Amino acid sequence: MALTRTVLDALTRILGPDGVISSPEGRLVYECDMQTFYKGAPDVVALPESAEQVEAIVRLCRRERVPVVPRGSGSGLIGGAMAPAGGVMVGLNRMDRILEVDLPNRCATVQPGLVNLWLTRAVEDRGYFFAPDPSSQMVSSIGGNVSTNAGGPHCLKYGITVNHVLGLELVTGAGERVQLGGKVADRPGYDLTGTAVGAEGTFGLVTAITVRLLHAAEAVKTVLASFPSIEHASEAVSGIIAAGIIPAALEMLDALMIQAIEAGIGAGYPKGAAAVLLIELDGPAAEVEAQAERAAAICRERGALDVRVARDEAERALLWKGRKEAAGALGRLAPMYMLQDAVVPRSKLPAIMREILAISERHGVQIANVFHAGDGNLHPLILYDDRHPEQVERARAANEEVLHACIAMGGTVTGEHGVGLDKAQKLPLQYADADLNFMYRLRGVFDPDRLMNPGKLLPSHPACGEGFRPARPRLPDGAWI
Amino acid sequence: MATVPATLGAFRGADAPDLEALRKCVHCGICVPQCPTFRVLGEEMDTPRGRLYLMRAAAEGRLGLTEALARHLDLCLGCRACETACPSGVPFGSLLESARVQLRRHGPPSRHRLLEALVFAVFPEPRRLGALLAALSLYRRSGLGRLVRALGLLRPFPRLAAMEALVAEVPRPVPLPAIVPARGRRRGRVGLLTGCVQRHLYPGVNRDTAQLLALAGYEVVVPAAQGCCGALDLHAGRADAFRARARALAAAFPDDLDFVVTNAAGCGSAMKAYGHWLREAADLGAKTRDVLELLAEAELPLGPLALRVTYHDACHLAHGQRVRQEPRALLRRIPGLTLVELPDSDFCCGSAGVYNLLEPRIARALLEQKLARIAATGARVVAAANPGCLLQIASGCRAHGLDVEIVHPVELLARAAARAR
Amino acid sequence: MPVAGRSVGGALAAILGREGLREDDAARAAASVDGEVPRWVARPATPEQVSGVLALAHDAGLAVAPRGSGSALELGRPPARVDVVLDLGGLDRVLDWSPDDLTVSVQAGVSAGALATRLAGRRQLLPLDPPGAATRTLGGLTATAASGPLRARYGTLRDLLLGVRFVQADGVVTWGGARVVKSVSGYDVPKLMIGALGTLGVLVELTLRLHPTPEAERTWLVRVRDGAEAQAVVDALLDSAIQPNRVELLNGAALGAAGLPAGAAAVAVSVGTVAAAVRAQGEALAALARRVGGEAVPQPADFWDRYGRAGALGGGVRLRVATLVTGLAAALGELDAAAADLAPGVAARVTGCAAVGALHVALAPIAPEAAAALVERLRGFVAPAGGSVVVEAGPRALREALDPWGPVAPGPLGLMRALKDEFDPARVLNPGRFVGGL
Repeated sequence: MALTRTVLDALTRILGPDGVISSPEGRLVYECDMQTFYKGAPDVVALPESAEQVEAIVRLCRRERVPVVPRGSGSGLIGGAMAPAGGVMVGLNRMDRILEVDLPNRCATVQPGLVNLWLTRAVEDRGYFFAPDPSSQMVSSIGGNVSTNAGGPHCLKYGITVNHVLGLELVTGAGERVQLGGKVADRPGYDLTGTAVGAEGTFGLVTAITVRLLHAAEAVKTVLASFPSIEHASEAVSGIIAAGIIPAALEMLDALMIQAIEAGIGAGYPKGAAAVLLIELDGPAAEVEAQAERAAAICRERGALDVRVARDEAERALLWKGRKEAAGALGRLAPMYMLQDAVVPRSKLPAIMREILAISERHGVQIANVFHAGDGNLHPLILYDDRHPEQVERARAANEEVLHACIAMGGTVTGEHGVGLDKAQKLPLQYADADLNFMYRLRGVFDPDRLMNPGKLLPSHPACGEGFRPARPRLPDGAWI
Repeated sequence: MATVPATLGAFRGADAPDLEALRKCVHCGICVPQCPTFRVLGEEMDTPRGRLYLMRAAAEGRLGLTEALARHLDLCLGCRACETACPSGVPFGSLLESARVQLRRHGPPSRHRLLEALVFAVFPEPRRLGALLAALSLYRRSGLGRLVRALGLLRPFPRLAAMEALVAEVPRPVPLPAIVPARGRRRGRVGLLTGCVQRHLYPGVNRDTAQLLALAGYEVVVPAAQGCCGALDLHAGRADAFRARARALAAAFPDDLDFVVTNAAGCGSAMKAYGHWLREAADLGAKTRDVLELLAEAELPLGPLALRVTYHDACHLAHGQRVRQEPRALLRRIPGLTLVELPDSDFCCGSAGVYNLLEPRIARALLEQKLARIAATGARVVAAANPGCLLQIASGCRAHGLDVEIVHPVELLARAAARAR
Repeated sequence: MPVAGRSVGGALAAILGREGLREDDAARAAASVDGEVPRWVARPATPEQVSGVLALAHDAGLAVAPRGSGSALELGRPPARVDVVLDLGGLDRVLDWSPDDLTVSVQAGVSAGALATRLAGRRQLLPLDPPGAATRTLGGLTATAASGPLRARYGTLRDLLLGVRFVQADGVVTWGGARVVKSVSGYDVPKLMIGALGTLGVLVELTLRLHPTPEAERTWLVRVRDGAEAQAVVDALLDSAIQPNRVELLNGAALGAAGLPAGAAAVAVSVGTVAAAVRAQGEALAALARRVGGEAVPQPADFWDRYGRAGALGGGVRLRVATLVTGLAAALGELDAAAADLAPGVAARVTGCAAVGALHVALAPIAPEAAAALVERLRGFVAPAGGSVVVEAGPRALREALDPWGPVAPGPLGLMRALKDEFDPARVLNPGRFVGGL
């Protein structure tokens, strides 16, 4: 679909020529996020610098019935920031300012394009941090984090993005700019802020975000334990949680992943181990001390080959760098991978890891694992070379089986990456028609014309269509009318 | 130099970007916030990820060698911060250089044709550069410079204005002997690259380099007939000129050297890549070291300097050559010197070879950021190991009246060495 | 559509069985909401029965008021209509507790106390402790967004509720969220149900995140001379590495009501972790208190039971005041001044979570006009910073004299109205009781 001249001219009037990209080259680079499997170039890219401009763009698009696709840093993994139906992509990178830091009230207000890590950088000197730490935090924008309700290694203890969002300024699909929530935590009325976090742009565009900042813990300890098998490591995870220890982060990496990380980053992970647990404890010094010892003891009891504690901040930082750049480092093993983000109840970890190994063998595909073991959030990365169609097919089949196995164990299709285009068709695995229909109608409240990031989050499914009525209970016949 | 297919999408013949290397990019974007042009422009085409995507599209035949492609690649400073950031090991620098070679050979004509012609006629030619600088010096001293600036005559020509602003004064040449003998325990024999800009604008840096190397136990050979290393040609995609210069330089140095030393990060980075581009100079490339690498391994007698110093990582040293700790360690060895870290010290200052002349708007925006961070450190001295950075930062400080001394680390080391008994 | 009472009653009986439906005057009177006597009191035993009742009510044009333990019926505006009171106390099964996963699924009528007793066996807890929580149902706590002192560390239901099953106004049983601790599959529907007073759906099942019970816990009362010092203690504490699990502010009247030594104000702080860390943090707290000019006095283990009584006040008015953390002392001061001006002699007990600025004010019985004036004045004071004052309990006359929720800005209110129009266009669920008369 090509846009009319009217729309382009109107966009240029709103943004100036520097704020509108319509060259083929420009549209090309905006055709996908980190999930390059899904491509869809927008007809034009708009680069606003203010909330007023965003509002004007949405109103224009609504008037002209043109889809609007928001994009932060394009580091999403779900085909969220791409335009399958064309339209206007709104790149929010130029809205990257910190509007206010209010440390006495432990919050900050930022524009959506601000890179996640930059917020922590701005307040860490004063002893504070922004807790959501997706592995992409050095690139992903806070607007993107809000959009996908991003998690991260440390959300095991601290919770995911929504638990840290106090308020949003949202331009709804109806083109209304509304302030939801704010610095004061409790508000009368529905929790629109909480509901809008994770809406993946289908409610509209977020133009400002008020987030909670946390005070840095007194002490941090990072324990690295290597195991002879993934199962041993999985048992240790269950043991730690069952012992009443909630580490700040509890991550698992398997041998293949360690190989890629060590080749790419050289983070100091022990080579040769079948699995490694990265256990981070933070909090009061004495608590950290005691819990680190107990966690280490549990690892040894469950057959750890080696347990060591990071000596200093530099070693700790390097281990985390390796962990966070793991997916990026995979480029060293294979040109492409499919990344799963399913969750299982954490007690099911040993079982699901056995299952994943079996799936990998059954389909003859390599699967690297790096994931948030503490909350059962798996990230099997299924390697393939897209130049060999049969490899693609096998990877796809393995990917499907992993997902179904997780759902069968009581899990969910996505733990932190979001739904996007990637998982939209998987939602019916997890939700009944009535549930899907509720979500479909919920979206319509914020985006009556369904022009905001169309094709994402909700499946194309009868329950997500006009006029669908979920089944109601049968009432007693005749008695009452 | 792998064999390449005759055509690779829009790329043709030799020196096409390596498709396998392009495919290493998993599109994670970790490079994006590290990219200076992204920080200024805030758009995907001018990020490493975007540029790689465009190169890959060209290699896969989805995109021709268009003017817009050329423009987005031209806008890249070549700072290679993205390489440092990249967890997948994408060799962005060499991919960019190859793509630029292709564009120069088969793409649309450059939009900076005239200025580039001037730059390449002068900068890599030490004698011509010397003559130009002498003229500039005269123009300054005659008062004409002040007049031109007062009347704003260069305002309509931002690129000429940028060039004019860059050079404050041209120092007297410092001749170096053909051989500087080693002092104390002899560690080896090295050649010294005197560089194009370095020898004319910072002759003292060459002198200090030679003296420190001698003090460290190296016999220093300074061939008089040496030319340019070709870095500017390489960055501009002038592969043939680059190879010719590399070949000539390899011939200018004797074969029995342990190392060939440079004190200009841009030169060192290009020379270390010789092996990738031509066999004849591979040996020279393998022997190339930055002076700070060698000095860091040596013992130097250093006297006290009571200075608060901050260190700016030249891109082609930190990102291009992965030399980060050595300069800091050396500076910390000077008694009395306080080294304060410069936030984002490895973020480009906007100099980037002749980029500040070709793209003054972006270069200036980057310079402003750098100056603000320098000012915030409270340091009296900024050390940087590349003449381009020295020129760029110094011109910025002059323009802002920032009272900071800009030096190459060897200058501080030489001063400290002079104070050691 | 007008429907004959008898036939609706018959249908309800068919859905609920004899034991699930009460039509007698005594039962109806006991179930009245703000004096509105329902025609039927339904006590379903299964989610399917809830669904049947709502489907019937929807088609018959009846208004339904869901209730749990009935302890929060004074929250909100007086109802526009009440035909059926839906008593969810019969949905009292713990469906699935998975200790190794630290999650539990319960029916909405399970009381917090009953759940706590079960969980204690494995040293786990649902850290949700508003006053009187033990007898309140988890569904009711969710629908009213109740919170208590432990929110300082564990957050609110917003941080604890993972999944929810609810029945829409037309009887459709719907699920939102997940049963695992981490999920972003689809919209965060559970968030929409928290504090919604059942106006978008009737909660029948909740999946909740649990926490391990700390090994050791200790409480201190930091006694200070005035509100400003209390503020200083709170500010310093929050800016320190101390990791409290409760940070409660008490004014003089609340101290008295809890049987604590008299004073102008105090900050009650508890720390729960391993024993060694409790000791170390206690020392740090004592030092911090001294620096600010106060004194940290260790408290006996039953402190928090007594504390709960400080906020309980029969027959009076209870307010929820939300303010900035940095505005606590100012809000206290304004309350005192307003009370002195508008209701001299009426004691106002203030307690609440200082770590997030969520205060509870309990006023002794007070004339509705005076209470209304006081609320309006407090609202005017906290509104500029985004604060609010909600009447949590009080006589109907007060909640008729002023909007107990206070104003909601037009933008969000428009969306809230659109939500209600979408999901309960026939106004079956608690009509008129929520913000903006929804």
